[in-house]
Amino acid sequence: MTLPPFALVRPTTLEEALRELTEDSVPYCGGTELLLAMRAGLHRPDALVDLKRIPELTGVRVDDGVLVIGAAERHADLAAHPLLLERLPVFARMEKHIGNARVRSQGSIGGNLCFAEPKSDVATLLMALEASVTLVSPGGRRTVTVEEFVVGPYYAEKEPDEILVDIRIPLRAGLRGAYVKFQTMERPTVGVAVLADDAAGWYRLGVGAVGEVPLAWSFGSLEEIDPDDIASRVDPTPDLAGSEEYKRHVTAVYVRRALAKLEQVSS
Amino acid sequence: MTESVSEPVATSGPPRMPVTVDVNGVSVSRQVEPRSMLVDFLREDLGLTGTKVSCELQVCGVCTVLVDGRPVSSCTFLTADADGAAVTTVEGLSDGQTLHPLQESFVDNFALQCGFCTPGFLMMSKALLDGDEVPDREAIVEHLEGNICRCTGYEPIVEAVEHVAQELRGGAHG
Ligand SMILES: Cc1cc2nc3c(=O)[nH]c(=O)nc-3n(C[C@H](O)[C@H](O)[C@H](O)COP(=O)(O)OP(=O)(O)OC[C@H]3O[C@@H](n4cnc5c(N)ncnc54)[C@H](O)[C@@H]3O)c2cc1C
Ligand code: FES
Ligand code: FES
Repeated sequence: MTLPPFALVRPTTLEEALRELTEDSVPYCGGTELLLAMRAGLHRPDALVDLKRIPELTGVRVDDGVLVIGAAERHADLAAHPLLLERLPVFARMEKHIGNARVRSQGSIGGNLCFAEPKSDVATLLMALEASVTLVSPGGRRTVTVEEFVVGPYYAEKEPDEILVDIRIPLRAGLRGAYVKFQTMERPTVGVAVLADDAAGWYRLGVGAVGEVPLAWSFGSLEEIDPDDIASRVDPTPDLAGSEEYKRHVTAVYVRRALAKLEQVSS
Repeated sequence: MTESVSEPVATSGPPRMPVTVDVNGVSVSRQVEPRSMLVDFLREDLGLTGTKVSCELQVCGVCTVLVDGRPVSSCTFLTADADGAAVTTVEGLSDGQTLHPLQESFVDNFALQCGFCTPGFLMMSKALLDGDEVPDREAIVEHLEGNICRCTGYEPIVEAVEHVAQELRGGAHG
């Protein structure tokens, strides 16, 4: 199906991109969500502002104990990135299992978060990791946690004139992590992240895809995580992937599996 | 395309942008609309109809082509984004004389029935086998998960790819 016409602008600096953003022109990266939304008639922008040529939005680096991932980085590249494989393997493994190989070679991490697809694996794991995002607008720069950013289904707390520049994950020396998901269609039915920094007594659990937004909680020990209690805390959206009751059931099962998997992970 | 006298092309119609794409080893330069999708460019502008289109949602994989070696859904990929890139379609697999080992193997293993999904599966498999590691069966299944075969020919398809992987490994079949 042919899309309605639009202009395509290709800035090479962040400043230029910000100047191009107006009420009727929207950021564009891999297009895996945006072009579909346009095809479905949900969006009819006059112009797409391609973010792929802006250097600030690319690369992965460690900056003062924080892993910084450029927003335009694509899933396939993150899944294979040496720095991620070394410093945060749980993240690389999660990226390796997003959607399908074509979505992974085209879709970006920033686009995933900005679209706030309720079945995002990325948002679930990032929330559990206490990650934040950097947003830049003509008025300046701000950093917000992923929990503050992804606030509703298809709703990220972002102004139209803002660009997501990078994702920041605080690194922890002895971190162990597991991410498991149940998926029969393109997107997961449930995704569960469990993270443990035993030395610091820091334990996090994230559950996503079952409800409108991912949820994450802190615990004092792994023993405190009760799969049935977690299943009662989520707010599942009944859809083609299952009823509310069914989704609570698979949530408990996958929390159990995530905890079992974590036992096998040394770091 | 027909140009009507009452509608001069120079002043009407959406603006176009120049693209130069290497398609199966041949450099092609054209003016395309920003909204031009790679699948339409290949099929309609270049007449390369091997690439099929179906779901237009990136879930079926029949439109898979390689852009700089990476598999993408050409149904949801702007032609403009292929500017300066190398695109490989199913037509680019064989040199016109000998079939690509994957094509041979698909034939030998009865991995095609109606054949509609075949170009997508071939291109997806090529992307996998061109990678650094020779994949095992599990990796093949995982990689091909995003492609749909309406004739449900999955087993022979996986076997066909596995055979080529075994050959790449230099081992005997089985
Ligand atoms: C078939 C399919 C299966 C999928 N399966 C999964 C899955 O299993 N798990 C999962 O987590 N995800 C899944 N996804 C989602 C996928 O990860 C996203 O589609 C992809 O990452 C979006 O990135 P993009 O670059 O294509 O975004 P685009 O489509 O280019 O943009 C998406 C939205 O974000 C805005 N935007 C993009 N980048 C920025 C930026 N830097 N700053 C500000 N705004 C921006 C755009 O304006 C647009 O509104 C799936 C998607 C598809 C199509
Ligand atoms: S037609 Fe492109 S993925 Fe189905
Ligand atoms: S062979 Fe018919 S769709 Fe796959």
